Amino acid sequence: MFIGAIGCEPLQLRRVHLENSKTLDVYRRNGGYEALQKVLTSMSPDDVINEVKKSALRGRGGAGFPTGMKWSFVPKDSPKPKYVVCNADESEPGTFKDRYLMERDPHLLIEGMLIAAYALGAKTNYIYTRGEYHYLIDIMDVALDEARTAGLLGQNILKSQFSSEIYTHTGAGAYICGEETALLSSLEGMRGHPRMKPPFPAVSGLYACPTVVNNVETLTAVPDIIRMGGEAYQKLGTEKSGGTKLWSVSGHVNRPGVYELPMGYDDMEKFIMEDCQGISNGKKLKAVIPGGSSVYIMRADDIIGKDVRMDYEGLVAGGSSVGSGGFIVMDETVDIFESTRNLTEFYKHESCGWCTPCREGTDWLVKVFRRIAAGKGLPGDAKLMLDLCDNIEGKSFCPLGDAAAWPIQSAIKRFPEDFRKHLVQTGSEVT
Amino acid sequence: MSTESIKVTINNKNFQVPKGARLIDVCREKGFDIPSFCYYADLALQASCRMCLVRIEKMPKLQTSCTIICTDGMVVTTQSEEVEKAQRGMMEFLLANHPLDCPVCDRGGECELQEMAYDWGNLEERFIEQKNYRPEKFLSPMVANDPQRCILCKRCTRVCDEWMGEDAIEAGGRGANTVIGTYGGWLDCSQCGNCIEVCPTGTLLDATYRHQARPWELAQTISTCSFCSDGCQMSLGTRSGDLVRIVARDRYVNGLNGEFLCIKGRFGHPFVNHQDRIRTPLIRYKKGGKLIPATWDEAIRHVAQKLDAVAEANGNNSLAIVGSPRLTNEALYTLYKFATELVGTENYTTTDAFSLKPFFDNLGGPLATHHDIRHAGTLLLLGGEPEELQPLTGKQIRQAVRNGGAKLIVINEVPIRLTEQASQFIHISPGTLDAAALALRSSANDQSVSRKMDVEGKDLETLRQTIRDTKGDLVIMFGGELGAEAQAAIAQLPYSLGAEGRRVLLHPLPIYNNSVGAHDMGMMNGQMNAEQILDAAGDAVRALYVVGSFRGAELRGREESLSRLDFLVVQELFETATTAFADVVLPAASFAEVDGTFTNNDGLVQRVRQSIPPVHSAKPDWIITAQLAHELGVDFGFEMSSSAVFRQIGERIPAYNGLRYPALKDESSPVQVNHALAGETDLTTVERRLAEIVDALPDAGQKHTETPKVGHELFKIGTLTGKVAQFHLLAEGNPRPADVNISPLYQITIDDRLRVDAAASGD
Amino acid sequence: MSSQLTQIQPLSQPVDIPEPPATFSSKVEAEIDWHFAKYPVARSAILPLMFIVQRERGYLDPPGVAYLAKRLALRITDIWEVATFYSMLQTEPVGKYHIQICKTLSCKIMGEPRITEHVCRKLGIKPGETTADGRFTVSLVECLGSCGTAPMFQIGFDYHESLTPKKVDQLLDSLP
Ligand SMILES: Cc1cc2nc3c(=O)[nH]c(=O)nc-3n(C[C@H](O)[C@H](O)[C@H](O)COP(=O)(O)O)c2cc1C
Ligand code: SF4
Ligand code: FES
Repeated sequence: MFIGAIGCEPLQLRRVHLENSKTLDVYRRNGGYEALQKVLTSMSPDDVINEVKKSALRGRGGAGFPTGMKWSFVPKDSPKPKYVVCNADESEPGTFKDRYLMERDPHLLIEGMLIAAYALGAKTNYIYTRGEYHYLIDIMDVALDEARTAGLLGQNILKSQFSSEIYTHTGAGAYICGEETALLSSLEGMRGHPRMKPPFPAVSGLYACPTVVNNVETLTAVPDIIRMGGEAYQKLGTEKSGGTKLWSVSGHVNRPGVYELPMGYDDMEKFIMEDCQGISNGKKLKAVIPGGSSVYIMRADDIIGKDVRMDYEGLVAGGSSVGSGGFIVMDETVDIFESTRNLTEFYKHESCGWCTPCREGTDWLVKVFRRIAAGKGLPGDAKLMLDLCDNIEGKSFCPLGDAAAWPIQSAIKRFPEDFRKHLVQTGSEVT
Repeated sequence: MSTESIKVTINNKNFQVPKGARLIDVCREKGFDIPSFCYYADLALQASCRMCLVRIEKMPKLQTSCTIICTDGMVVTTQSEEVEKAQRGMMEFLLANHPLDCPVCDRGGECELQEMAYDWGNLEERFIEQKNYRPEKFLSPMVANDPQRCILCKRCTRVCDEWMGEDAIEAGGRGANTVIGTYGGWLDCSQCGNCIEVCPTGTLLDATYRHQARPWELAQTISTCSFCSDGCQMSLGTRSGDLVRIVARDRYVNGLNGEFLCIKGRFGHPFVNHQDRIRTPLIRYKKGGKLIPATWDEAIRHVAQKLDAVAEANGNNSLAIVGSPRLTNEALYTLYKFATELVGTENYTTTDAFSLKPFFDNLGGPLATHHDIRHAGTLLLLGGEPEELQPLTGKQIRQAVRNGGAKLIVINEVPIRLTEQASQFIHISPGTLDAAALALRSSANDQSVSRKMDVEGKDLETLRQTIRDTKGDLVIMFGGELGAEAQAAIAQLPYSLGAEGRRVLLHPLPIYNNSVGAHDMGMMNGQMNAEQILDAAGDAVRALYVVGSFRGAELRGREESLSRLDFLVVQELFETATTAFADVVLPAASFAEVDGTFTNNDGLVQRVRQSIPPVHSAKPDWIITAQLAHELGVDFGFEMSSSAVFRQIGERIPAYNGLRYPALKDESSPVQVNHALAGETDLTTVERRLAEIVDALPDAGQKHTETPKVGHELFKIGTLTGKVAQFHLLAEGNPRPADVNISPLYQITIDDRLRVDAAASGD
Repeated sequence: MSSQLTQIQPLSQPVDIPEPPATFSSKVEAEIDWHFAKYPVARSAILPLMFIVQRERGYLDPPGVAYLAKRLALRITDIWEVATFYSMLQTEPVGKYHIQICKTLSCKIMGEPRITEHVCRKLGIKPGETTADGRFTVSLVECLGSCGTAPMFQIGFDYHESLTPKKVDQLLDSLP
């Protein structure tokens, strides 16, 4: 599997290939904790937030919310403790970048979190890691211990007035706990149900205190932003999407892996055919889900020769979105009906069950898929599925409902032939 | 909510609404129907059913109106194709896995889901897949459960947590596998059944009423609960002379308790039609002989003769009269009249050892209603254990703290469950509660008070500071352990603790449904209490007329004296330890069979309504007393009409001045009686006496450290609850049956009695 | 109602909550204390503690659940509601080696069915079952974040990636 940068100097992946890259020693010898030092000696919290704003860094967890803006929502005058929580729940199908960042460069995350904690005045911070990534928790705990011993964590960090602690926390198998409010419920020891917004976590999050939740990749971008300056970081990417982005490439390509691309990388066809070394086994490209399972599926025709730019705006123009950057490539052998069914089963399994449309809707959709797969499709099944999706989309309590609807809506619309194939024997019409 | 008003446009019509109003409430109040399941007033918001979606201008998606607080200029659409499609879509989702088995469902006919489906359901059923199946089962002897009908609105889990503080029922599993239940499938709780009541579907059902009747076959009669002093309003469901079930569903009744009831109120009623009810008057012609059935005429004549003879021979005071604090005001008033006007005895009282007379004689402020408790600023609970003895008060306290941000201070010798909600718990030595009254009056005696109570002096200062800091109402509640002087001192607190912007309200916590009424009707004005009367039985007291039965606490060890009486007449529903010595037993009608009133611990006088004809040949207590009077030559002039009795109460008892039944018609706006305020009285002697009492208390006893178990009072087997098979299971520790799909009544037999009773109760 | 009924969730039979709760060695207790120390609110430690109980006792058995309730000062129902929400928490016994094969899209198209079939044939059980000797349980699970190295499975907490039938054989045969 490939891990590295294309089209730019490696930034977040700078250290991953170094021997013993996860040790403090290697990290420090390669520029580690310099940004933290800089922040503690020469920047105010507001300076840090401004720098992050200038960087045009957008959240890498999937929603793409501008990070600097999110940080500025935290009320400065609140007497309550504040928390920075790192979202390392990484459960979006097709996404596996956070895993390698933590596995190979744990101190980068620690440094990023400490800078965020400094900017927000947080004394306690948590890394919420999905339970399956148990080995990463061990790696992080070792790194945290190293940092603590070296005076980089805990009381009077780098001999400054700033004190802050980071702890690891484990999930236990629930995709919904990647949603930030569900994550906080889970971190409080509850069932992982999302919470009502407003109030947003920035105002009332963990233990009803101001909290910032950021993805691993978002936080690991912060040290470089401080080091090189927000503007320089932004310039690596585009005006609205600064910096570089990690893409987790899987499926039918010759070289799957974690690719660091500058935001605005041109173009998707080149990326698949050259950088990822083309479709495996000499097959033809059929479809791509570019941003993790929750985004619209794209047809090969919408990629080949279409010059799809790889950033937030470019992908929307191309008919999908960046999401978490989970880039799933499918060749001509894949039946899009089956692949969509697979994802729908996923959403059904992962629906938390709180709200009606998502809980009942995904259950129903799965049943329709299974019935069609069993050869009992009916005319109007495609229409039924689209209508059910419509009754879920925009009506669920949290975005998981939408995420379940989008793959189906886009698949039926863009690959009607694959659905028709399953419905023809009963004469169904696919809209 | 502020008085400021803002403009909201709903479906192109403009309205002025109070700032802070909730959109769903506003829409409904203005006549726009909004479907909802998970929204339930005064419970935590859930926003999970997604039925209440509406369109609000400038917002990207449809919004749940249950979570939206109106803002000025808000433009809302509740009726449009888009909104309707969404609402019908949700309904369709909710019904997808629902078994649609209304014809065999106990809830059919009074089911919110069913009704909503009529309005918002689709004509076409598009769901043709296999339904997720979960078998019916029992969660406890009281709660039957059909999980397949569940729509996961979680009202049940929220009332269990927020109302009851028990958290006994929860959602387990995830996604479409989510089920409401418990670890191990058995419900270990106070069995209040509120989860059943608030369930909008047929998922949680009354196991004692299972498959007994369809709701529409039942006549609904609104009445007042006959167990504790909270006075919950309930609807008695009856069919051809049988009381089949009791509910507090808001479609039938809207009292101070909302849909809340406790286990006794909801499930304690099967005594009414129980086979052991006394069927006819019974006469024991010679001591030691058997009780022999007689006609009413015979019995009344016999009693009158005997009572007359005793009074003739030994003087009026040799005839003592004891009523039960469970009786209606009408019965107690008639009894009082009988004792004072007809017999002229000074020896009359109730079976309850606790008298509120010292409290009411010194009353310095109004009584707190349950509404006041819910909205109080600070709640002070002296002794008592409302969560077991006055469960509605317990619920109001809990909600005041959890949903209303009130402060609760508990002073108790036992770490009762409500201490969980308390901001301060003053854990005192056993038997030293009176000292707390002293501490509330001033700090003068703090030294001895804190020593006797075995608490820190600063605890008392914190207590007084919290009171001084209180904004809004201060509600002082006290249980039955408080002595007479302490009661008097507490009753006067409104004068010393009241302040600008702070009302001081009082809330006594007597045990019985009409303890307050018994006081008001004058029954506590006699010379002796129940214990003293029993001690005098056979000596100064030669004959006894008891309406109800003595309590075990007083009777135990004094049975001997009952047998030494010249004559004992008892009015009862059942044979008891008291009737065992009776020369005559007269069958009385239960609360379900009579008209009348009870006065609760708020001082609210509420109607008791006849829901079935008297069982067998029973008669209402007041009628029996009036007939006895008639036989003794005095006509009370009540003309067989309880409203005439109440009219006389309204004429003769100042607190009830001018009240008539029509004024009590609407249970949703109950009437508080007008207990006279004593004015500020000189308490120097009382306080001195109290200080002496406190000084005489032993120093620092061993403290009780264990929180009592849920149900330790509620599940106690009494004369009435003992007639309910399920209570025996609970009293035995609610054992888990081997098979939760079959009623535990058939599987667990505590003793032979239970099996007989189980069959008799029809389950 | 024409549709057939399928039972999707077996009724959990009544479980007795045993007294006394499970006990653990002082080393494990120290580990538990370490987790408690991380949070200002004890309840936050519930998931880490559940993993420890599961590791020590094989699954969240009744004495283990009783222990959790006591240690966290929660009601038994609170333990139940949390334990049943998360798919990694076992409320029924599982085999010594819990083979969790990822069945989500990337693994699916990269050969998961072949691996599943191979594992099941080798062990003679179907997904969701445990071998008679209690050594192996096979489950199909959702995306484990190894899509770039599909197909894959996890045995316990250990990742095994880029699987082929041959690799599976070597692996399973080498397990103690
Ligand atoms: C259903 C759902 C699952 C999500 N899963 C993840 C996840 O696994 N990891 C993640 O970082 N963000 C996830 N998110 C996004 C988070 O809610 C949140 O936006 C993110 O953690 C914010 O961090 P960022 O601003 O750094 O992206 C998920 C969102 C939803 C709705
Ligand atoms: S959309 Fe609803 S059921 Fe689905 S995960 Fe979100 S809150 Fe839970
Ligand atoms: S009532 Fe608003 S979501 Fe249920």
